[in-house]
Amino acid sequence: MLVVTRKRDEAIVIGDGIEVRVLRHGHDGVRLGITAPPHVAVHRQEVYETIRAANASAAADRTRVPDLIARIKENLGSKEVGK
Amino acid sequence: MTTVAPVNTPDSRKPASLSAAPDAQVVEFPAGIPAFEMCRRFVVIASPELSPLSCLQSLDPPEASFLTVDPRLLDPQYDFTLREFERARLGAAVDEALVWLAIVTVAPEGGATANLRAPVVINARRMVGCQFIRDDHEYPVRFPLTRD
Repeated sequence: MLVVTRKRDEAIVIGDGIEVRVLRHGHDGVRLGITAPPHVAVHRQEVYETIRAANASAAADRTRVPDLIARIKENLGSKEVGK
Repeated sequence: MTTVAPVNTPDSRKPASLSAAPDAQVVEFPAGIPAFEMCRRFVVIASPELSPLSCLQSLDPPEASFLTVDPRLLDPQYDFTLREFERARLGAAVDEALVWLAIVTVAPEGGATANLRAPVVINARRMVGCQFIRDDHEYPVRFPLTRD
């Protein structure tokens, strides 16, 4: 892991077009400003990991799908579904 | 089971809907989706038996398969506005009609939830898709689809 010391308003540059700048730091955390090209997704790690885990569990077992669809229709009630 | 493709609707304020097409149309996901980054090509499958769900099926190993639901059915107020960098990733114009799918998770107990926080969005005109994490909203990752 590369470890660098940065002061407020100083930045690091990663590859071509990614910049991470220290905007503010204090006892409660460090505020970072990130500039990246449109094709680079930037997320808080814990949020990204939550979505990864949700996708992984969503891709699992589908054997109960017919029963599930019946229950979803029941729950959505009289709403026009599938339109 | 019929294979369908998403199509544009003329009303740009509403998300596009899915309708039957004779051939499977492959949607490219240039970055895959989180946890399945190697899955770059998907097809959307809908059928009366699956309704109100549809199936997002990867053509690339490990051929991950997801049940999905239209977020409109779950939250009539759902915000279908993308940020500029998100539209850029789909090559979508400001008024482009897009297909939105919330990924469904089936719980071991038999219930199900839908991920409104990270919807899959498809630009049917360019057949390109992406799963966006909506950091700008508080939508739940596990919105209940069934009553337990």
